[in-house]
Amino acid sequence: MIKNQKILIYGIGNELLTDDGIGPKLVMELQKSHQHKNLVYESAFVGGLDILDIIRGYRQVVFLDAIKTKDGIPGTIYHFTPDDFKETLHLSNLHDIKFLTALELGKRLNYEIPTIIEIIAIEIIEDMVYNDHFSPEIEKLYPAIHQKIGTYLIDKTNCKSSIPEIK
Amino acid sequence: MKRITIDPITRLEGHGKIEIFLKDDGDVDNVYFQVPELRGFEKFVEGRPVAELSQIVTKICGVCPGCHHMASGKAADAVYGVEPPPTAKKLRELFYMAHFVHSHIAHFYALAAPDFVVGPDSPKAERNILGVIGKVGVEIGTEVLKQRRIAQEIQALLGGHQTHVVMNIPGGVRKGITMEERDDIEQKVRGFIDFAKFSLKIFDDVVLGNKDYVDLIVNGPYLLNLHSMGLVDANNKVNFYDGKVRVVDVNGNEHCKYAPNEYLDYIEERVEPWSYLKFPFLKKKGWSGFVEGQDSGVYHATPLSRLNAADGMATPLAQIEYEKLFKTLGGKPVHATLAMHWARLVELLYAAERALELITDPDITGKELKTPLGKVVGEGVGIVEAQRGTLTHHYWTDEKGIVTKANIIVGTTNNNAAICMSLKKAAQGLIKKGEIPSEGILNMIEMAFRAYDPCFSCATHSLRGEMPMEVLIKDSNGNLIDRISR
Repeated sequence: MIKNQKILIYGIGNELLTDDGIGPKLVMELQKSHQHKNLVYESAFVGGLDILDIIRGYRQVVFLDAIKTKDGIPGTIYHFTPDDFKETLHLSNLHDIKFLTALELGKRLNYEIPTIIEIIAIEIIEDMVYNDHFSPEIEKLYPAIHQKIGTYLIDKTNCKSSIPEIK
Repeated sequence: MKRITIDPITRLEGHGKIEIFLKDDGDVDNVYFQVPELRGFEKFVEGRPVAELSQIVTKICGVCPGCHHMASGKAADAVYGVEPPPTAKKLRELFYMAHFVHSHIAHFYALAAPDFVVGPDSPKAERNILGVIGKVGVEIGTEVLKQRRIAQEIQALLGGHQTHVVMNIPGGVRKGITMEERDDIEQKVRGFIDFAKFSLKIFDDVVLGNKDYVDLIVNGPYLLNLHSMGLVDANNKVNFYDGKVRVVDVNGNEHCKYAPNEYLDYIEERVEPWSYLKFPFLKKKGWSGFVEGQDSGVYHATPLSRLNAADGMATPLAQIEYEKLFKTLGGKPVHATLAMHWARLVELLYAAERALELITDPDITGKELKTPLGKVVGEGVGIVEAQRGTLTHHYWTDEKGIVTKANIIVGTTNNNAAICMSLKKAAQGLIKKGEIPSEGILNMIEMAFRAYDPCFSCATHSLRGEMPMEVLIKDSNGNLIDRISR
């Protein structure tokens, strides 16, 4: 039985790898700019089995992760559910299991897996160079990304059905 | 010449790939394993206080942050010319044993067991941890997650956070533990020992009890005669946190034994034009290419190499398992790549036993947590055994302890040449002339890679939990003649 009725907003990524840490940075700033009693903000740099212990017990979870796609346009915001999810940069890693496998494992083991799971992924440019600043292009796009995702989260919390500008 | 490319083409870029080149007659000619490289860490840390690095380096990698934290902390101790007091050293090592328990459980059950419990050529959809749970039962799956979670809780308690660890400061640790916390941890690590024994029992029943699997380990295309590296204590027993690095040659004789600050006298790195990742080798042997044998400079740094390089385990139950492993596999040193899985479980038991030794040591609740810092020496090296190989952090600083230069050799980098060679040998043994390799054969090639528990989150970058493969078969002119995906 799900006990925690709040929505977990979970940022994943490495803040020291240029654009890679956009998820954690969004979490850090959204928890100030888009506070709501039903939203819980957390971030880390893990995937695989560890995800299960992070999300267990919540009713809903929204992951914020970086993504790099072939010919992707920087700053594009993608919206996935487990049904159409493929890969983002951190929800899986080589040392561990796939995100969807982890979810299935949690269900088989009767973990309290959230009934609603969403993944919001932001198309980034650079994630191979150590730098605690975004690339110039993502830096420029960041305020709009922050605003779009913040609006979406607040709308979602208020049970609005639309998903503005997130495709 | 035909070329087979195992090259994942998916939404995620920044991936690794395996390329297999075939001769005109269809036999495997060569195999190249390539991964992208993270760049600029040395530049990134320049100008920062060395005392802060142990926290920064935990963000290099989400898989083994504790390893970087420990190696970095030890390097910072050396920069300040201090040794932490006994309580601080024991708390660090206790944290580290929990880190090993957490990681080794994940590798065995999530990555290794599917190949053996479910079967190396079983359908891909079943060859994962869900298939393992299907075979061994839901209760065991629950226990796997429980023990991992407990290991994380211990790390969080001692380290301040389970991944972004803030435990170490130059000369010691930030905080100690209370008697209540000590009692709680003791109860938990006793559970680790039981679980490690249980995991070895599974290996015994499923793998050693299956003649085909034993034959695959001992006689399959997975043998590689390389030198073995591992950290050892004063009695040449396996140690993950402290000691000297010992290398034994392919015959098991000591090649060298060095203190952390001597590593540059023994290890050299080289680059290959086709790989972003460096290839360390034994300096005194020299580089003679990707070749096996006594004269080669190629070594491996893995759970198996650690057992090969040591004279035994420092805890009683692990010592029994150590002796059993070598007796079963024909004596020391063992060169069977797939035996790394067994060695990893022996290490799991050692980590559990060592954790119990540490938590029941009266020093563990001591109040002296830090040695006053000395004058900045200006250079320091810290070495620990990461789960996937010997990890070296080397910092140079100015007189105020500000970093001017850094060098890191991560665990998996040690094994770069060995992984390439293992893949080639497996491919040569498994791909038959003129036959398109099946998905099962590709998985068996990948098993050679998986045994190393490679992690490129810090060596290069994070990759996926399972390596999706697309095989492109090309003719001698590079024209695509077939494609296999999985």
